[in-house]
Amino acid sequence: MDRRKFLKQSSLASSLFFVPSFVRAFEQVASSTLGYKRLVIIQLSGGNDGLNTIVPFNNDIYYKERPSLSISKFDVIKLTDEVGLNPSLTPLKRLYDQGYLSIINNVGYPNPVRSHFRSMDIWQTASDADTFSQSGWLGRYLDNYGKHPHSAIEVDDSLSLAMKGENVNAIATKDPKAFHNLSKDPYFKNIHKHQNDAHLSEHNLGYLYKSMIAAQSSAKYIFETSKTVSTSQDYPNNKFGKQLKTTAQFINSGLDTKVFYTSLNGFDTHANQLNTQKRLLGQYSEGIETFVKDLKDNGTFKDTLILTFSEFGRRVKQNASVGTDHGTANNVFVIGENLKKQGFYNNMANLSNLDDNGDLKFEIDFRTIYATVLDKWLEVDDKKVLNKSFSQLDFI
Amino acid sequence: MKKKHIKHLYWRVGFGISPSELEKLSKKNKKDIVSGLFKSSSSHTALEVDTSEIKAVFSGMMSEKLDSKTRMEIQKMSRQKQMELNAAWIERLSTSKEVLREKLTLFWANHFVCEDNNIVYIQNFNNTLRKYALGNFRDFVNAISKEAAMTKYLNTKQNRKHKPNENFARELMELFTLGEGQYTEQDIKESARAFTGYSHNIKGEFVFRKWAHDFEDKTFFGKTGNFSGEDIVDIILNKKQCATYICGKLYKYFVSETINKNHVNELADVFYKDYNIETVMRHMLLADWFYDAQHIGNKIKSPIEFLVGIKTVVPTEFKNRKQLIYIQRLLGQTLLDPPNVAGWKGGRNWIDSNTIVLRLKLPSMLLNSGYISKVKEGHGSVLSEEMNAKFNKTYGRWIKTDVNWDDFNKTYKNVKLNSLQEYILACDINTDTKNYLDTLQKNSKQEYCIQLMSLPEYQMC
Repeated sequence: MDRRKFLKQSSLASSLFFVPSFVRAFEQVASSTLGYKRLVIIQLSGGNDGLNTIVPFNNDIYYKERPSLSISKFDVIKLTDEVGLNPSLTPLKRLYDQGYLSIINNVGYPNPVRSHFRSMDIWQTASDADTFSQSGWLGRYLDNYGKHPHSAIEVDDSLSLAMKGENVNAIATKDPKAFHNLSKDPYFKNIHKHQNDAHLSEHNLGYLYKSMIAAQSSAKYIFETSKTVSTSQDYPNNKFGKQLKTTAQFINSGLDTKVFYTSLNGFDTHANQLNTQKRLLGQYSEGIETFVKDLKDNGTFKDTLILTFSEFGRRVKQNASVGTDHGTANNVFVIGENLKKQGFYNNMANLSNLDDNGDLKFEIDFRTIYATVLDKWLEVDDKKVLNKSFSQLDFI
Repeated sequence: MKKKHIKHLYWRVGFGISPSELEKLSKKNKKDIVSGLFKSSSSHTALEVDTSEIKAVFSGMMSEKLDSKTRMEIQKMSRQKQMELNAAWIERLSTSKEVLREKLTLFWANHFVCEDNNIVYIQNFNNTLRKYALGNFRDFVNAISKEAAMTKYLNTKQNRKHKPNENFARELMELFTLGEGQYTEQDIKESARAFTGYSHNIKGEFVFRKWAHDFEDKTFFGKTGNFSGEDIVDIILNKKQCATYICGKLYKYFVSETINKNHVNELADVFYKDYNIETVMRHMLLADWFYDAQHIGNKIKSPIEFLVGIKTVVPTEFKNRKQLIYIQRLLGQTLLDPPNVAGWKGGRNWIDSNTIVLRLKLPSMLLNSGYISKVKEGHGSVLSEEMNAKFNKTYGRWIKTDVNWDDFNKTYKNVKLNSLQEYILACDINTDTKNYLDTLQKNSKQEYCIQLMSLPEYQMC
């Protein structure tokens, strides 16, 4: 336990004993609005090609394995003498220059699975490659530490497994107004008004009534809170840009939500990869830069951590259709204001030491990143959420 | 048999019962009614969409290996066809006479969980579920282990002598037959060797690749021998735990989420004798405890039970197939697209803030442009073209359906308006809600039907 956390916990403990209750109530309000840490997850679906995202432009093997798919050393945005960014990541370079980006290379898990569904499943549930879980890691965070369903929001139509707990699910909405409208038919309101809580049993029907009432109040709360702010930023006009805009609106309005989940699809580049990936990474980096500006303008960036991952990287060797096939380890981006390790967290993968499939061997288990975020950022017991103890990293 | 019990039976083995059918059955005894259910499910009708185009590609191929262009083409056609199969399955559930078999097929689809991007394989798999739904569990497990879609999904295809892939062997025991913690890691390793060589040809037929099979001795659950995949299934089924595990799942699905150990053991005793699914189902449906008051109307409908239930009361066609899929996704259960091999959790897990809000609003959106009448008693019929137009503008654009109210009016012709709830709902209405409903004007069966379907009570069966 670090010192800050210790102080926080001990002051909380003492307050329980000595401070009159109205002061305690005040303190709780204060601590819930100040330094209210939030986590934003960005999922790049389809398996982003990490090697053409963070490019080892001085590596002969890279150019040998990708004769028509490599990015030339004249085009990359150089970060170091060895490594550069995909040319469409200029906005990300600006975040890098400000010290807001930490790149963790070679992230994966033992016995990698090359199926999209399954590998995404593993990332979302934080399970081992040979076990299956019906709850996601953020869902289990919600089970243990979420106060309301809206403690975690996926800015989309439906929920990913990551956001489903054993008992509680997060909320999915990309349009708080539509969600509120759906829930607020006067017919439901009247039913609600007529309910005497004493009649709501612990049986399944009672559970449905309670869920209905909680959902109506969450929908109303999300809509009425988030509509109080609007953004002055010009977000890119695409689906991902809209998701980020809505997320920023949620955060800047002070919504009582700890976790946000967004995704950008289309990274499954088996054929003609260069243009597709260029377009998608462009969307990603332009969106993210606008998002960071928006948060900074509203003083919320310092309390927001943004984590970007993809279910796997792609094979080192290009295929016959100027694309790449499913691979294994990949890079993860951490974006935030107070990063302990800015720039590169660790070295690039060794391209001369590949597995039997010609894929990268992972170095960092993705669950050590989760554990770090849970413990050091969200300040909860990571073992309770991950059902296992993982060592921690040093990026925040 | 009491009407209350017939309704319960039909909700659990099907998707409800029509008033005339109920009237007819109420003159029969339990044994005859249950026998009737098995009789009408004694045949099985395969569910098929036209896949001739893809099959033609298969038969025109010179080699067994797909080049990447053909593979992509097949995947593209398959995506389209899979939507067709999804819609056809929902239609089947709403209209089939083989009610019990179809409900069990749905159950098994969430037991032997599988998915694939080749429509031919997934359609075969689906029909294997249907074929064995009431058959012998031993034959069922063996058939499943040899399905092309399964050998792909759980990597039996990649399982070779000296290079075993344990995926199928693990799930066979953990999810399909015994349940977690009933075996050792060594048991998994050894049994995986017995399934080496299981594969399929391009058409999706099972192929046993002798060269890839490990013919050496394996030691599994204390027995040693040159076991084949079938031998492993025999050894597993020899364990009483297998019968207990399957009966526990059947009990949770058909009777109650809360297990009664005595009842499950009673079922397991019956099932263990010969693993005949029909026999154990018959025992369950004839048992007095199946009709216990605590079970009646106390199960939360799955999204498919909910959706198909609406369709059986008021026949409804989705004009746009994509919207039917979209609705399933929003409700949390898309047929043919399970979350992973562990399947859907079910029970209270169907319900969260999003799904409860949608479930309450959906019947009115599908059937009445989103409008639920709130006209008070004594306020005359102000309802209202105007209101309807307004709602049509807000929600009507969203989901496009063809609704057959004539059929509803015919089916419910002899039902009194103030007893409609007995046919639409499976449980009693919460007292406070009933008090509210009593203040509302009732002069249209259609409107009352929508009001009933828009209640939390309608989520129960």
